Amino acid sequence: MLNKLLKYDLKYMIKNMSVFYILALFFGITTRILFSLEQTIIINILGQISVGCMFAMVVNILINTIMRSWVRFRDSIYKDEAYLTHTLPVTKNDIYNSKFIQTLIFFVVGFLIILLTIFITYYTKDRWLQLKVLISTITTGLELNSTLFVISFIAIIFLEIFNAIQCGFLGIILGHKKNNNKVAFSVLFGIVAYFLSQSIVLLLIFIVGLFNSSIMDLFTSNILLDTSAFKLLIILAIIIYFLIIILMSILCKKEFNKGVNLE
Amino acid sequence: MKFTFDNNIPIYIQVLEYMKIYLISGVFKCGEKLPSVREFSTTFKVNPNTMQKALAELESMNLIYTERTNGKYVTNDINLIDKLKDEYAITLAKSYFEGMKRIGLGKADSIKYLEGIND
Amino acid sequence: MKLLEVKNLCKIFDDKEILIDINFSIPNGKIIGLLGKNGAGKSTLIKLINDLLTPTKGEILINGNKIGVETKKVISYLPERTYLNKQMRVKDVINYFEDFYDNFDADKAKKLLKDLDLNIEQKLSKMSKGMLEKVQLVLVMSRNADLYVLDEPLGGVDPATRDYILDTILSNFNENASVIISTHLISDIEKILDEVIFIDKGKIILQSDADKLRNKEKSSIDEIFRRMFKC
Repeated sequence: MLNKLLKYDLKYMIKNMSVFYILALFFGITTRILFSLEQTIIINILGQISVGCMFAMVVNILINTIMRSWVRFRDSIYKDEAYLTHTLPVTKNDIYNSKFIQTLIFFVVGFLIILLTIFITYYTKDRWLQLKVLISTITTGLELNSTLFVISFIAIIFLEIFNAIQCGFLGIILGHKKNNNKVAFSVLFGIVAYFLSQSIVLLLIFIVGLFNSSIMDLFTSNILLDTSAFKLLIILAIIIYFLIIILMSILCKKEFNKGVNLE
Repeated sequence: MKFTFDNNIPIYIQVLEYMKIYLISGVFKCGEKLPSVREFSTTFKVNPNTMQKALAELESMNLIYTERTNGKYVTNDINLIDKLKDEYAITLAKSYFEGMKRIGLGKADSIKYLEGIND
Repeated sequence: MKLLEVKNLCKIFDDKEILIDINFSIPNGKIIGLLGKNGAGKSTLIKLINDLLTPTKGEILINGNKIGVETKKVISYLPERTYLNKQMRVKDVINYFEDFYDNFDADKAKKLLKDLDLNIEQKLSKMSKGMLEKVQLVLVMSRNADLYVLDEPLGGVDPATRDYILDTILSNFNENASVIISTHLISDIEKILDEVIFIDKGKIILQSDADKLRNKEKSSIDEIFRRMFKC
């Protein structure tokens, strides 16, 4: 049944997100075209507007992906549509997993669309080389592989935001156990969950630091980490976020399985 | 036909009355197969269980009978239907005379009024 | 085995007892009226049966199963609000029900919708409340369920629609199935009921065969109810 739930969750997101994807790509293309033309005043102004729109859409995709995930979660589990969701012959775990996977997929898709938009808008051979040089000046100092560095950097941001989204889910689940002010409590619990998860990340890194003095330097001094410690920190961060996301989803499902109380 | 029911009286008794009229007036003739409970309950717009109860009542009066697996049939005994018709007619006549009595008219006068009515 | 069995069910909300020690059972093949004033606890009871509320105490069994995936397969529930995603078209909703419910009869749904002059291409957001209620009733009655639970199906509808709804209910539930209809509009519905359950202030006051009750009290269920719960 998970695949069927997912089918409808994805359809909903496509319906609501595709317009932003198309607009972002559209303004990426117009920007590119406008700046490749001979720059008269009018063309230049149009180009600036186009750039503005393109960035607005990129931000929009990011925020909308997050907000829609929360709104969809709340609407189909606690609002009118919940009357259908909870009477479908599916387990609560499947309902949760479907939302989880839907969010993950749209987060990846949104991310790729944003990258593609920026690529369309700005890509030239020269700029690509400049970017490469810029990154390698950072990485060679740390004796890191550029590609790996970029990938792990993106992965950490990705996991970090995804963790924030899931903290929102937990906040919504806990907030709707209250009889009043469900929205306010959802926000409150979401924020608390987020800070707790961040504290746990720091705590775990600190615990590792107890056994690894170069990681401990992160807490005790201002000096930059040495290369091996920096590598370890990146790997550690990825593993810890991964664990936290899994633990958090187990916690969400446990709370969710205790049942709902719809208005 | 629109069936109206008085909520103060058990519904199955009212369905039973309608059914009796059907039998007397020959809507369903002797030996004829009756529609299913389901079909009846949709025409009367009543619960199938209520319909079942009314039919069971008719069956206990031998006005209809069940042929195993085949459904229900009207009795082949025309005398039973005639007797029912007789009883029904007497009840109607009685209530007519009672009504006339209430406005102070005797039996003879009442019959005169009856004869005066043209269809 | 009973189709529905409710044992010692309690629901407390904010220290208020909404349902107090409810015990009753329902056999197969009956239409049951769950009758009570507004706020008597009818909807709470129905929502508990449908897993939309979590009981404070007690147990609900359907064919011997606790509330869960198995019971949801056999219960067809009509809530008193519109629960469909308004972005969908009628035909999308039909596909949705077909996807999730093995016992959903899409052809039957299409036929009933056609009888009601509802267009399956239409978007739900473009439909009136009355139309949406009809769509939901059709969806619910097009399932070949064991137990139909209809919460105030005659809510704000006109008399003609009311007749149609009763008709649809009568002609579409299968013989072994039972129907629970909750309502406070008793006179409109009482002629189709086998059994009545009176609920007041969170307690079951009476459960009886409808015709037996009429015979005993020599009056309509509606009147008996009014007498019992004088406002």
